[in-house]
Amino acid sequence: MKLSDLEGDMGGPSEFLDQPVSQDLILELLNHAVWAPNDGLREPWRFIFVDNPYGDIMQGLQEQAPAYLLVLVNAESDQHKQEEDFAAVCCLIQNFRLLAYEQSLGVRCTLHDWMYESSRTEVFGVLNNERIAAVLELGYGANQSKGTTDLPETQLHFELL
Amino acid sequence: MSLAELIRARRSIRKCNSTPVDQELVVELLRKANRLQPFGETGSWRVVYAGTPEARKRLVDCMLEQMSQSKIGKLIPGKLLDVFKKRFTDIPAHVIVMSTVGPDRLTNDRNYAAACGMMQCFQLMGWEHGLGMLWDTESMIQHEGFFKGIGLREDERFVGILHIGYFDKAPRSRKRTPAEQKWTVLRGQST
Repeated sequence: MKLSDLEGDMGGPSEFLDQPVSQDLILELLNHAVWAPNDGLREPWRFIFVDNPYGDIMQGLQEQAPAYLLVLVNAESDQHKQEEDFAAVCCLIQNFRLLAYEQSLGVRCTLHDWMYESSRTEVFGVLNNERIAAVLELGYGANQSKGTTDLPETQLHFELL
Repeated sequence: MSLAELIRARRSIRKCNSTPVDQELVVELLRKANRLQPFGETGSWRVVYAGTPEARKRLVDCMLEQMSQSKIGKLIPGKLLDVFKKRFTDIPAHVIVMSTVGPDRLTNDRNYAAACGMMQCFQLMGWEHGLGMLWDTESMIQHEGFFKGIGLREDERFVGILHIGYFDKAPRSRKRTPAEQKWTVLRGQST
């Protein structure tokens, strides 16, 4: 598939089917996604895969999903580097979303306030020198569409210097 | 080329050739990248484009303003500074991205993340068209004169500049750490 020809709703399905998500598939996609640009090849990321077959571990924090991927970003360097590191992780996530879309795996990419509270994140094994950049809700959607929906034209804010 | 191959093949391009970059193509790819970015809110980021010789010169002047006026900068021989300037002004196009600052940290992070996701998508699509880019966040350029020069508004945050051009040779890859080495599994408890 050519990326420039890719169309469709990348927002992820609104509801997931009761179908497990394979760890091997996620690792396979991540091993492509880590080819994101990152300053100084710091590779400032780490992953916590939450296998959630019975669906209660994220209750009150996230929407229901068969699996979650916590994408962590290093948070120990100076502010400028932390900003670059967060940008690198965002690129990795974008890679992952595109690859998942190709596999019909639904991804809802979320950022919520609880991710800033260490008392909540340490439960999942997030260390002191890192923080959650985003939580990806993973699963197969009943309504996963490929290029069939007409999305409203998004506005581009483009100006000349 | 598959998506995985594309993602693995893309490199940061520090040296481009003099082939001009078509502004129409840049706009078209930005539009497509905008549609594929994750946090889906419109108006959360803005692009300023420098593609004409005049605009490029203005951009490079404000990028290097701080350096040329600093104590160290004044010690740099004028000729050397000119060489440095020329290296940047020779780049055919620059996309400057700024994201909207929200009322709280969450909105800031979402908008910034959306801009970054769009930029990565734009870089990948550019690569498909033979365009190379360098994502520049160099701290040296981030100062008041530069922000003023690019027209950064009070409610905006600078995300990065993509220096864009066609290239003759892509640099070799640098190996990545396998995801397995940065991976932990947490199992949900049954109730």
